[in-house]
Amino acid sequence: MRQPRHAALLHAVLMITSLAMVFPIVWVFLTSFKTSQDIIRATPTLLPERWTLENYASLTKTAPFVRFFLNSLLISGVSTVFIIVTCSSAGFVFAKYRFRGKNFLLLLIISTILIPLQTYMIPLYLLTRWLGWINTYQGQIFPLIIMSSGIFFLRQNILSIPDELLDAARIDGASEFGVYRRIILPLTTSALAAISIVNWVYTWSMFIWPLVVANSENMFTMELGLMYFQRQFITLYGGIMAACVVTLLPVLAVFLAFRTRIIEGVAFTGMKT
Amino acid sequence: MVPPDGSGSASSAAAAAGVTVRVPARRRGGSLRVLRRSQLAFLWWIFAPVVSLFIIIRVIPIFVILLFSFTNYSIIRAFWRWTGLANFERLLSDNNFLSALWNSTVYVLVAVPAEIALGLLFAVLLSRRVRFESFYETLYFLPYVIPMVPAAIIWKWIYAPGSFGLANHYLELLGFGRVGWLTNPKIALLAVIGMHVWKNLGFFVIVFLVGLKNVPADVKEAAAIDGASQWAQVLRVELPLIKPIILFGAVMATIWAWSAFTEVYIMTQGTDVSTGTEIAVLVFRIYQEGFRFYNMGYASAISFVLFVISLLLVLAQFQLFRGWKEEGA
Repeated sequence: MRQPRHAALLHAVLMITSLAMVFPIVWVFLTSFKTSQDIIRATPTLLPERWTLENYASLTKTAPFVRFFLNSLLISGVSTVFIIVTCSSAGFVFAKYRFRGKNFLLLLIISTILIPLQTYMIPLYLLTRWLGWINTYQGQIFPLIIMSSGIFFLRQNILSIPDELLDAARIDGASEFGVYRRIILPLTTSALAAISIVNWVYTWSMFIWPLVVANSENMFTMELGLMYFQRQFITLYGGIMAACVVTLLPVLAVFLAFRTRIIEGVAFTGMKT
Repeated sequence: MVPPDGSGSASSAAAAAGVTVRVPARRRGGSLRVLRRSQLAFLWWIFAPVVSLFIIIRVIPIFVILLFSFTNYSIIRAFWRWTGLANFERLLSDNNFLSALWNSTVYVLVAVPAEIALGLLFAVLLSRRVRFESFYETLYFLPYVIPMVPAAIIWKWIYAPGSFGLANHYLELLGFGRVGWLTNPKIALLAVIGMHVWKNLGFFVIVFLVGLKNVPADVKEAAAIDGASQWAQVLRVELPLIKPIILFGAVMATIWAWSAFTEVYIMTQGTDVSTGTEIAVLVFRIYQEGFRFYNMGYASAISFVLFVISLLLVLAQFQLFRGWKEEGA
C-alpha cells in the first residue's frame, strides 16, 4: 500500500467512512441552528438557510433544562469523586497487601465487570426503595460509586510502584493513610484521570437507572429530560435538536480535550462499569 | 487487555511480610507494631467499607434475582409466596417474552459479526501507517463517546418516514424507493441494530487498532520478506496474533447487544408520530414487567434468563476461539 495509487484509495475509503460516521452528529448541530420552517422542508438541506439561536432560546421556556443539566452535572460529578477514592484505595490494597481471601475478592470484582446493570436493576431498585431513596440524588448516585473495572485498572497500575518506595515512607513513620495519600495517589494520577473521565462520561450518559429511580421532573437528568421532552413536544423539531446538542456537547468537549486519556481508559474498561 | 502480572503479585506478597526484613534492626520492634496497626486500620476503615459497598451493590443483587425468580413478589401487594418454577413455566408460553427473546437473539446475531468485521476492517486499514491516522481514529470513535439518548433521537429523525427523514431522502436521490425504516416491522429491528452498530463501532476500531500496533514489527517484516501479499500478511499473521483481543471484542459486543435497551426504547416506544412498530427486547420486558406492571418476581425470572444466557454466550465464545486457535496452530 505504499504506492501512491493505493494510498489515495486508502485515504478515500477512510475519509468517506469516517465522515459518514460523524455525519449524524454534524447534522444535529447544523439542524439546531435552523428555523422551524427550514427544518420541515420537503428537501432537507445540510446548512441552515438562515442561522438562528431561537431553538436554544426557547429551550428553557418549554422545560427546566437548566435544572436537568445541573442534576446531571451533580450526579456524574459526585459519582466520579467517589470512584476516585474507591478505586485507588481498593486498588492499593489489592496490589500491595497480603491477607486471606484477597484473591477471592479480586476475582469477584473482575467477574462483575461484564455484568450489566440491566440484569440486576430490580433488586437494586428494591434496595433503593427500602432505603427511602426513590426519587432522590442519593438513590441515583449510589449504584455509581463502585467501578469494578476501575478497581482492577488501578490495581494493575499500583503493582508497578516499587515496594521500596512504600517501605521507605513507612520507616519514616508514615501511616498507611499517609502512604496512600503521599505516594499512591500522586503516582497514579494519570490512571485516575483516565478512569474518572471514562466514569464521568458513563454516568453523564446513564439512562436506564434514572428512568426507574427518578420520577419527578426536579430529579430528571439531561437524558431523562430529553427523552420526555421529545415525547411531549413531538413537533418542536428545532427544540429537540437543540436539546440533543446541549446533552452531547459537554461529553464532546471533554472527549476532544482528553482524547488520548479517554481512548486509553475506554480500551481498558469498555466504558460500561 | 492486561498482561497477567506474576512479578507484581510476588512483590506484593513481600510488601506486608517483607517490611520487617528491610527495617533497620534498632527500629524493627517499634515500627513493625505501628505499621501493622496502621495497615489493619487502613483495611478496616477504608478497604472494608469499599468492599462492602461493592458486595451490596454488585454481588447480592445477582443472588436476589435468583431468589425472587421463584416468588410472585410485587411491591404493590402486601403478601408474596414461593411459587416454585411457575415463573419459568409462564416464560415458556409467554409470547411477549418469546418474541423479546427472539429479537434479542437477532440483535446479537447481527450486531456482533457486523461490529467485529467492520471494526477489524477499519483497524487493519488504519494500521497500514496511514497519514492523519489519529484524525480518522477520532472520527470513528466519536459516536461511541456521545450519550445514547441524543444519538437515538438523532437516528429516529434520520429514519423518519416519508421523504422527511434523511435516510429516505438520500435513498430517493440515489433513485431507490422509500423505506419504512421504523414503521415496517420487518425492517424496524434491523434499523435499530444498524444504529447500535454505528454507535459502538468506534470502540472496536480502537481496541483492534491497539492490538494490531502491538504486533511486533519483525514478525510483519518476516512475512513481507517471505513474499506474503498485504492481505495474506493480515489474514495469516496479524489477525491470528490478536485473537485474544478479537475475543475480548466479541465478548463486549455480545454483552452490549444482549442487554441493549436505551436505543430500542427511544426509537420504537411511545406514541410518537415517527414511530410505528414497537420492538421489545429482553431488557425492555424486564423494565415493563418490573417497573410498569410491578411483577418483580416475574421480571426477576426474565433477568435471570438474561444473566444465564449472557454467561453461556461468553463461555461459548471462549470455546469457539480456543478451537480456532488450535486449528490455526
